[in-house]
Amino acid sequence: MMLTLEDFRRTMESCNHCGQCKWLLGPKTKGYDFAEICPIHQRFGFDAYSGQGLLNIAEELLNGELAYESGLIKLIYSCTTCGACDINCKSIRDMEVLETILALRERVVADGWGPMPAHQQQARSVAEQHNIFGKEHGQRFEWLTPDMELLKQSNVAYFAGCAASYLYPKIARNTAKILNAGGVKFMVLRAEEYCCGGPLWRTGQVAAAREVAEHNLAALEGHGIDTVITSCAECFGAFRDFYPRLSKLKFRVMHITEVVQQLIAEGRLTLHNTRKRSVTYHDPCFLGRLSEPYVPWNGEIKAFGRHEPPKQWRRGTQGVYDAPREVLKAIPELDVVEMIRNEENSYCCGAGGGVAEAFPEFSQWTARERSKEAKSTGAEAIVSCCPFCESAFEKVLQTPDGEMECFDITQLIADAL
Amino acid sequence: MLALDVRPAIAQELNRSIGAENVSTDLAALRSYSRDYSLVAGTCPDFIVYPRSKKDVREIVRIANQHEVSLVPVSSGPPRFHGDTLPSKRGIVVDFGRMRQIVKMDSVSRCATVEPGVTYGEIVPALESHGMKVNMPLAPRANKSVLTSCLEREATLIPKYQYDYMDPLLTLEVIYGSGDEFRTGSASGPGTSESLKADKVNPWGPGAIDYYRLLSASQGTIGLVTWGVIRTEVRPALRKLYFIPLDNPQQLAAPLDALLRKRVVDECLALNSTNLATLLADDARADFAPLKAALPPWTIIACLAGYQRRAEERVSIHKKYLIEICTTLGLQALTRLPGAPGLETDVLRVISEPWSKEPYWKLRRTDRCYEIFFLAPLSKAGYFVESMKEVVERSRCPGLDYGAYVQPLVQGRGAHCAFLLPCDGSSAEEVEAVQELFLSASNTLMKKGAFFSRPYGPWAPMVYRNYADGAAMLRTLKNIFDPNGILNPGKLCF
Amino acid sequence: MSLPKDVYAELEGIVGPEYISDREYILAAMRHAMPSSPVKPPSPAAVLLPGSAEEIQQIVKVCNRHGLKFIPTVSSLIGFAYPTGPNTIMLQLKRMNRITEINRADRYAVIEPGVRHGQLKTELMKYGLSYPVAAVGPGGSVLVNFACSSGDNHNQHGASRTNRYILGVEWVLPSGELIRLGSLANDAGWFCGDGPGPSLRGLLKGYAGPFGGFGVITRIAIGLDEWRGPAEMPTEGRSPDYQIRLPKDRHKVFIFKFPTLDQLRDAMIEIGKAEIGQAVLKYFNATAALLATQSANHFWDLWDSGLFQRELARPLYVYLATHSAEEMAYEEAVLREIIAETGGEDVDPAIRAIYENNMDFFILVGFLQRVLRLGGAWAPTKLSADSIHHMFEVGKTIPEFLTDFIDKGLIFDAPDNFQIISMEYGHLAHIELLFLWERNQPDWGDVPMQVIARSHETEIRHGHHATMPPRSKPMLEKLGPLYSDCHVWSTKIAEAFGARK
Repeated sequence: MMLTLEDFRRTMESCNHCGQCKWLLGPKTKGYDFAEICPIHQRFGFDAYSGQGLLNIAEELLNGELAYESGLIKLIYSCTTCGACDINCKSIRDMEVLETILALRERVVADGWGPMPAHQQQARSVAEQHNIFGKEHGQRFEWLTPDMELLKQSNVAYFAGCAASYLYPKIARNTAKILNAGGVKFMVLRAEEYCCGGPLWRTGQVAAAREVAEHNLAALEGHGIDTVITSCAECFGAFRDFYPRLSKLKFRVMHITEVVQQLIAEGRLTLHNTRKRSVTYHDPCFLGRLSEPYVPWNGEIKAFGRHEPPKQWRRGTQGVYDAPREVLKAIPELDVVEMIRNEENSYCCGAGGGVAEAFPEFSQWTARERSKEAKSTGAEAIVSCCPFCESAFEKVLQTPDGEMECFDITQLIADAL
Repeated sequence: MLALDVRPAIAQELNRSIGAENVSTDLAALRSYSRDYSLVAGTCPDFIVYPRSKKDVREIVRIANQHEVSLVPVSSGPPRFHGDTLPSKRGIVVDFGRMRQIVKMDSVSRCATVEPGVTYGEIVPALESHGMKVNMPLAPRANKSVLTSCLEREATLIPKYQYDYMDPLLTLEVIYGSGDEFRTGSASGPGTSESLKADKVNPWGPGAIDYYRLLSASQGTIGLVTWGVIRTEVRPALRKLYFIPLDNPQQLAAPLDALLRKRVVDECLALNSTNLATLLADDARADFAPLKAALPPWTIIACLAGYQRRAEERVSIHKKYLIEICTTLGLQALTRLPGAPGLETDVLRVISEPWSKEPYWKLRRTDRCYEIFFLAPLSKAGYFVESMKEVVERSRCPGLDYGAYVQPLVQGRGAHCAFLLPCDGSSAEEVEAVQELFLSASNTLMKKGAFFSRPYGPWAPMVYRNYADGAAMLRTLKNIFDPNGILNPGKLCF
Repeated sequence: MSLPKDVYAELEGIVGPEYISDREYILAAMRHAMPSSPVKPPSPAAVLLPGSAEEIQQIVKVCNRHGLKFIPTVSSLIGFAYPTGPNTIMLQLKRMNRITEINRADRYAVIEPGVRHGQLKTELMKYGLSYPVAAVGPGGSVLVNFACSSGDNHNQHGASRTNRYILGVEWVLPSGELIRLGSLANDAGWFCGDGPGPSLRGLLKGYAGPFGGFGVITRIAIGLDEWRGPAEMPTEGRSPDYQIRLPKDRHKVFIFKFPTLDQLRDAMIEIGKAEIGQAVLKYFNATAALLATQSANHFWDLWDSGLFQRELARPLYVYLATHSAEEMAYEEAVLREIIAETGGEDVDPAIRAIYENNMDFFILVGFLQRVLRLGGAWAPTKLSADSIHHMFEVGKTIPEFLTDFIDKGLIFDAPDNFQIISMEYGHLAHIELLFLWERNQPDWGDVPMQVIARSHETEIRHGHHATMPPRSKPMLEKLGPLYSDCHVWSTKIAEAFGARK
């Protein structure tokens, strides 16, 4: 069930301009630096560039008080949909900021004004080659190597996703290696695996996203999959947040870090390390604060905010924060240092929501901001669990002086096997 | 001199409006208002009026506006030291000495409402009988007006009761130079002073303007205050004095700051041996020198206090903090006055009561004195003390034995620094030298960053010369509240 | 209504093209109707993000030349930070966001308007320093809070209101000239806000500030107190359920309930006289329930249980923070004596636990905006101060007018939802009545003015001071005569200095 922009009118009307969508939650603030939470607001400064601003814009569009123009479209698509505004707002209010932003994008697309050309290209690529990069579909599983132990049929599927398949095959390979080491019997969908649809959904191209999602659902159902493992936060987020809007899921979704956490707890995997190193962990938005499963609600809001029936709110409390951390701590000689903006308060890497494709300069600016924070911890490396995050950090950390390394967590786990 | 044809008309109106018994043209009395102990040259007024009520004050202001004659308010008895009450041109001195009612004392809301003529000599015992005290300056003279002292932002002894430089002043009723009546803060309304049941202890506003700040340190140039509410404190059930001897004024800031951060002390101040001996000597001439020689160069006086509940326990805990702080800094906290054991009760009296003996303590050693005072951050007090020493050493009176006083203010974030320059009035040469020192030291200290926040007499041109835009704003305000410029012309930047 | 091209060009020449916009989609974020108002504010003509006091001076002069109004703002939380008519530009001061000095010896910090509470409060903690946060959320501007709006806060019993902490000020006047107040006047530094002579700081702020109507404050120094807690907020848990516990031997929270307001009042007065405690307040009960819950439904479960109405009808919150366990034992003993004498009792331990587990109520109050959660409209009234005794007299008259609105179903049923906060060891107290109403009723936009008018009528009838004269020009002219004709003086001052009326 997909809601439309009109369904979020109460959210739009309820905004008090309190600013929580722009600033780190008070209890987590640790000083002057690293106290902002919204990349577009921090970069561009005008209130329009914020969760609050987008709500106000959405309301005016809905009321016919604002006309479309190219600058407006760029503003709407400059948001990484990281959800920091949403979670921060939800720490104090009963509002759906991110849902409204996504519904706004869908409306923009429906009205023929969006998305950005780069996103339209992604949709075309998905339609033609089932991946957002426009590469040959047949090359999707070239990351597989003969030494990997895969089953032709299993109830567990590893969903590699477009980024791991085409840009960071080492993530997919490392994941397979880890699953093998832990004795997890799994299969892959091979040619049946299409783009998860997440990038299309987040850019308002809901019909196109639905098409690939329904294909994936059918494929997974066809194989009797009851557990989908992924090593990409974007895919994880799509499965948790988008797919339940289409149908009730017959499988659970696990991130590779959750699997490893379980394997370690069960004694099926032990990690080793000889190199002493300090790392800081970056919580990807779609694995962290935005990873709680979508729960449909179609009730009524009565006087003074009473929701009937009661609504199950997703406020980022139950995101996947512990698993990656416990896994890192299980690697000997690895010293894990936290950034100030961590867990549900993580600062976006800048890659999500179609921003890396449409606004690469701003995307890199955001990644640089996050990298500054990572460097301030004194850690030697930044670790994340998402190929999009890794891509963002790589671009800004590949400096001649090599101040900081960046890793995907699968690399560290694989190295510690 | 007012025009000859105007004075009789003024006299007649004054007599009719406020009663002839409240109007004086006695020459000796008039002359007495034309001079004080400052460097300011005053002019002899034509009248002295003694209002008894707000109605009288309104009438006086009306008459003054009508005839464009200046008014100079005076509320304290002599000796006066700042030149602010000396008329700069002939006109009327408004002596509030007969408006001396303590209108109300409230021990529940801890406040007192006083008319301008109420003095420290009157308020201190009156409050004591109600279990209260007022945060007062160091040994004010008994005939000093409480309200004037508060209005002029005089430094007070208990920094923990100061949240900004306006304490302990609360609300006011004022007749502006325009003749309009106004009440500040929560006294403003709604309603009349009589119908309003508020205790009038909120000094801010009404609205977005702090009118009471605009009257502060104004030397009577903005309005004539007819009553004011001042904050009072609970009289401690127990007080324990401690003395911290210091060799060097650079050591002053650290213990005072540490004590005030923890809010351990009530009265706390630092005096050099000259000032302390001046205050404590039995016979100012005979006993001063040996007492001064016995005292340490500087003494911090710190009073710990317990109130009505578990007073001993409170003092005991604060004493522990005091000792810890002093130990950390390598200092001693003594219960006996170093150099003069046995005078502790006298010290307590000095910091608790107004000065009622004659002469006033500032005139005990010599018949004249000049006081330089300004504000500075507490951390810089030592620096300014040293700077003053350098200026004196370079002056025509290098051996001058002057008093020095550092009073922490506003929770210890600021300090009042004061140097009392004694002067033998019978020696013209000495008078000239000390006056020259007064001016040059003031100038030098100002250039070094001393903040002369109350610019009396010769300080006013020094201050406003470098603050032209502020002076312009003040003149704009003056035009609003005193459009005919009748109130104390020639003061500040007016 | 957009700016003429030449005027836009002049302004663009000052701030640069990146920091000015008159695009409708940018302005859309500055003209949203607040939930409490049925009226959408007029659109500003442009929004600017100036970067320095010099730029602001130039902008102000351009505005004066062309008859433009300007509104300085930072977070734009308060309803006054919006245009009331055409020809208005917004100056959002967010780029001016430096802490230019933290002076640990003299205990002050110098800040620009864009420095936020979340940043400054936690930065100062590292140095063992603090200041009272008037709760507006961590994104609220410290400078605006101190110099331009109100400034009452939970901890003003041991500390004070924010206006007390204003030291040196740098201020661009409506003429465009820059003036420095206090010790800055003679290059004596930032430490003192008053003088030389009559304190011009009096023009800056009274009980409340000018809300951006009197030029632009570009820097202030604020005085600092000692911080008695740890160098970092000891936060545990995840949003929205953070736990912040301070060391129990030196930080304790108490909540007592009293049978009558008079007894509560007496306790508050005695605590003040004993000079113990950091926060002493009678808090709102509906607001307390909102702050303690994580959704509207959760609030309703709690509110429908009646617990907060029973336990917190007449509550006294006390927060003690001391330097040693011994001092804590002393303060607690004194407190308990007073409570016993005045007939108070501890509230349900579950309520106390809420505050013990999240002491941010006494630190940053980062979750304050939960009061907005029910999503309808809300408004505060009264909002002034006088003695504790007088504020409780005012509090006792609230049912005289409020019950009517509750009985008619026009506002939320919470007659005890007012707070009285002790200030400066009980020398005075601030009162605020907060009421909520729904937007789904006829003429809902009229409700707040009706309540406020009845509140004020009640005060006038009783001879009570609990409200300062209103800001709006028509109301000020109507009620000013009751407040010593203050409207005459404020108008004269505004006209003399070109302030926005």
